[in-house]
Amino acid sequence: MSYVHPEYLVDTEWVAAHLNDANVRIIESDEDPLLYPIGHIPGAAQVDWFSTLQHPLRRDFLTREKFEEVASNLGITNDTTVVFYGDKSNWFACYALWLFQYYGHQNVRILNGGRLKWEQEKRELVKDVPSFAKSSYKAKEADKSIRAFRDEVLKQSNSKKPLVDVRSPKEYSGELISMPNYPQEGATRGGHIPGAVSIPWAQAVNEADSTFKTPDELRALYEGKGIKSDGEVIAYCRIGERSSLTWFVLKYLLGYQNVKNYDGSWTEWGNLVDAPIEK
Amino acid sequence: MPNLPPKLQEIVDDFASMTREDKIETLIAYAESFPPLPDWLMEERDKMEPVPECMTPVRLFGEKQSDGGVVFHFDIPPQSPTVRGLAAILANGLNGLKPEEILTVPTDFFTPMKLEEAITHQRINGFMGVLAHMKHAAVNLISNK
Repeated sequence: MSYVHPEYLVDTEWVAAHLNDANVRIIESDEDPLLYPIGHIPGAAQVDWFSTLQHPLRRDFLTREKFEEVASNLGITNDTTVVFYGDKSNWFACYALWLFQYYGHQNVRILNGGRLKWEQEKRELVKDVPSFAKSSYKAKEADKSIRAFRDEVLKQSNSKKPLVDVRSPKEYSGELISMPNYPQEGATRGGHIPGAVSIPWAQAVNEADSTFKTPDELRALYEGKGIKSDGEVIAYCRIGERSSLTWFVLKYLLGYQNVKNYDGSWTEWGNLVDAPIEK
Repeated sequence: MPNLPPKLQEIVDDFASMTREDKIETLIAYAESFPPLPDWLMEERDKMEPVPECMTPVRLFGEKQSDGGVVFHFDIPPQSPTVRGLAAILANGLNGLKPEEILTVPTDFFTPMKLEEAITHQRINGFMGVLAHMKHAAVNLISNK
């Protein structure tokens, strides 16, 4: 068995062969934003999940207009193939890819293995920051079919439809919540959304080289926990970043039709008045 | 606000006057100056105190010098330059101080540095976590003497 949409993955060899391809834009998106300035794939640009992709005031993503500006400054046209890679097994690369899809950019890829595999193969890393001729990117209307909001999540939970909690087991059990002195991002309650099954995100990747597990392994992982390809699935974590990797796996590698990422995740749910919680 | 240890105060003042770009540059410089773990600790990693507040595996150890001052050693992977940079700031600001002096550093000493211009709140939480565990190590050194 192969991945259902293998065209959404490229390998290091492919990227190395397309470093000078004008139709390809390589973008690094990391958990640790200092990795890019220390050394990145030649010609790659950087987006930061927080300072580039978040709304400057509200807890939300960039508006459509601002997204167009970001894409245009990166010289991306509506036909550009955008390849994302990053640290931590591509979790923030998947987050950036998800946002590009949210605004309708279909032509996206993940570099399988991400930054780690590129480094392991001793491929070139440079400090030069490329500049691009500005394009005039046109984004589409936000695609709500890949993003879940809290009311929808409540409905999903009440009707006992599949929810995947991709946080660590201790976060799922409620043992870990906000720690002392952590007011900015803690949740006032611990636990998980009723009915959610626990499948930590990292189980979808090989620790040794950050590549995705085989199609059979992935299918066994999710189906084994009752997360099937028919019907809607909602994935969440703490702020929606780890769950975008799970979203990518379910949607493209396993071909699930209807998968949403709940970016409000635990930092919203665990603070939401009247929201049901299971421990 | 009580006075900070002079070296730490200097770092705080420096950051306070920097642009966002300069802060990032400086953090990179700190990360690149991050010293390797000494050999004797390499074999005794279990002795080091973990900092679970960081998403990155971070361990630290406070080594008491003959003059009573403390030198901190960190074990942080190179894949996490921001955490390395932040730990290096704390080490530069606090190394050589007595455990009692380390305990006087207020938890929010870094507020004037405006680190949030360059890094996310999550990182700042990790930074606070590292300081909290350095103080914990200092408390242990006091009670063990």
